[in-house]
Amino acid sequence: MASDQVIHATGLRKRFGTVQALDGVDLTVARGEIMGLLGHNGAGKTTLVNILSTLTPPTSGTASVTGFDVVGRPDEVRRRIGVTGQFAALDEQLSGYDNLVLVARLCGASKAQAVGRADELLEAFGLRAAAGRRAVSYSGGMRRRLDLALGLVGCPDVLFLDEPSVGLDLPSRLGLWEMVQGLAREGTAVLLTTQYLEEADRLADRITVLGEGRVLVSGTAVQLKAQTGSGSISLRVGPQGDRAVAAEALRRAGFPPGVEGEPSELTVPAGDSADLAVVIRVLDAVGQNVSEIRYAEPSLDDVYLAFTATAPDTPAPAPGAIGRPAAPAPARTAHRSTTPEAERRSGDTPETP
Amino acid sequence: MNVPVKMAPLAEPAAGARVPRWRPAGRAAQLRVLTARQIRLVYADRRVVLFSVAQPVVMLLLISQVFGSLADRSILPRGVSYIEFLLPALLVTTGLGTSQSAGVGLVRDMEGGMVRRFRVLPLSLPLVLVARSIADLTRSGMQLLVLVIGGHLLFGYRAGGGVGGLVAALSLSTVVIWSLIWIFIALAAWLRKVEVLSSIGFFVNFPLMFASSAFVPVDVLPGWLAAVATVNPVSYAVEASRSLALGGQVGSEVPAALCAALGLMAVMMVLAARGFRRPPDE
Ligand SMILES: Nc1ncnc2c1ncn2[C@@H]1O[C@H](COP(=O)(O)OP(=O)(O)OP(=O)(O)O)[C@@H](O)[C@H]1O
Ligand SMILES: [Mg+2]
Repeated sequence: MASDQVIHATGLRKRFGTVQALDGVDLTVARGEIMGLLGHNGAGKTTLVNILSTLTPPTSGTASVTGFDVVGRPDEVRRRIGVTGQFAALDEQLSGYDNLVLVARLCGASKAQAVGRADELLEAFGLRAAAGRRAVSYSGGMRRRLDLALGLVGCPDVLFLDEPSVGLDLPSRLGLWEMVQGLAREGTAVLLTTQYLEEADRLADRITVLGEGRVLVSGTAVQLKAQTGSGSISLRVGPQGDRAVAAEALRRAGFPPGVEGEPSELTVPAGDSADLAVVIRVLDAVGQNVSEIRYAEPSLDDVYLAFTATAPDTPAPAPGAIGRPAAPAPARTAHRSTTPEAERRSGDTPETP
Repeated sequence: MNVPVKMAPLAEPAAGARVPRWRPAGRAAQLRVLTARQIRLVYADRRVVLFSVAQPVVMLLLISQVFGSLADRSILPRGVSYIEFLLPALLVTTGLGTSQSAGVGLVRDMEGGMVRRFRVLPLSLPLVLVARSIADLTRSGMQLLVLVIGGHLLFGYRAGGGVGGLVAALSLSTVVIWSLIWIFIALAAWLRKVEVLSSIGFFVNFPLMFASSAFVPVDVLPGWLAAVATVNPVSYAVEASRSLALGGQVGSEVPAALCAALGLMAVMMVLAARGFRRPPDE
């Protein structure tokens, strides 16, 4: 329903000097919906959040939040949004408690209301014990939590969270997820950027992948996985085997080109687990025996890799960039990655650890 | 900090009542809250307060000794001691240093996160600047009082114009300092860099302070400097403050200084509000 769209952006562009940070972004988010915004570093996520939260005006295009234009009626928008940006927006010289009271007072709370709200939020974010200390003495995660709490002071209709879980320990992150889901159930629309695919998968009703300032793809996690189309089969050829021969045989049998991982490992995109038998038969026919083989369902990582790999000029990460240490990259193959080269490139896309 | 966090579900307003919980605070209330915050920031460090408040007295001591020994009584107006000549001028020039630190304070504040949050709150942004100027002005007020008291204790200073004249001089100086503060708030809102502000501050402050009638009468300055001093707005303010404190005939310099200060303040307020409104990243 159109009236349910609390975020409505069309053709948003933003230019910083020579950098086209956003290049025609359309986005809608409904009441009570959690929208996950994914994209590589520099894709434009923060820029989009800044425009929608009235921090910075778009170069062109229009956006409205809760029915009010972000450029024309920023005051009305600001009454109804909560923002926790990528960088902490709090007063380090004040205590956590004073920060919350200050923001509540500015939002129009009476002294008593402000104190009540501060107490509520300190409790909810586990900052009770540190409430009286100046925020400058807080740990990174505590600051993050205070910043999240500050975003919620005014009971916003629309909540912007730019990489909210960076720096949070596991219990805090789980708590945050629960809280965000609770707020959404009550009708708050949430626009959440993240580098954690798991976070988007768990939380988001819909996901939008940005790349180079453009929407690469948008839909539910299920839709995106379906669009990516395939899981993958990873296998190891036996000691006497030759991986190159195996790869060539699979290619001739109609499998998309695969990637070579670990010594003797090979990963190819595959439709479903029934392909396991096909692979083994093909390799058997060319005299390659398989010492290990497994099928992996498509994951959001595949979606992410697939779509960001097809982004024009996906930036190659700087040498020495922090890779994704834990993710078994070779097992994550994406259909869209047409060349092993592209695959490797996107597979290295740094993820905030 | 390893205390595990349990985030309890938040108490939310009744389902369906997704209206903002509070009506945004009125401007007066916003200004009160913001000013209270700025005052806390300005007075956060006792040492800074102590030294900045003592600073004008040190100026009084040094300048009166350095120039006072040189200044031939004959160049001063008849029957006026150098302290009587100097102190009302310091009431004004003290504001130059203070206003620069107000600008630096604003830049620091903008670098911190709270101003970033202010930008997404239902808030009239220029009030943040007004609050800043008021907080800094309270510190200036303390400086002025300490200066007058210090002058009295150290040099037996008494205003020729009596308490009334002194209060008038203090009030005028306060207005002038407020406008000086706004110059630096405007500079800070546009430049947004402490280093730039400090280096510009030097170029603005020293000429304004020394190429004026603050420390010696204009007629004893070398020709070119006298010309500069004659058009220097600080000279007007200094003359006005001096004539109020000394008592006797008050000429057109007082309304002139007030008009100049208020006009300047109005222009600077508009510029500052514009500069401050620009998004943080441009
Ligand atoms: N103030 C600015 N001046 C110049 N360029 C900018 C500015 N802000 C952002 N950019 C550029 O715009 C592009 C998008 O930046 P943005 O911060 O929106 O990316 P992001 O998707 O949030 O990245 P990340 O995952 O690293 O947070 C980048 O190329 C960035 O360099
Ligand atoms: Mg970002």
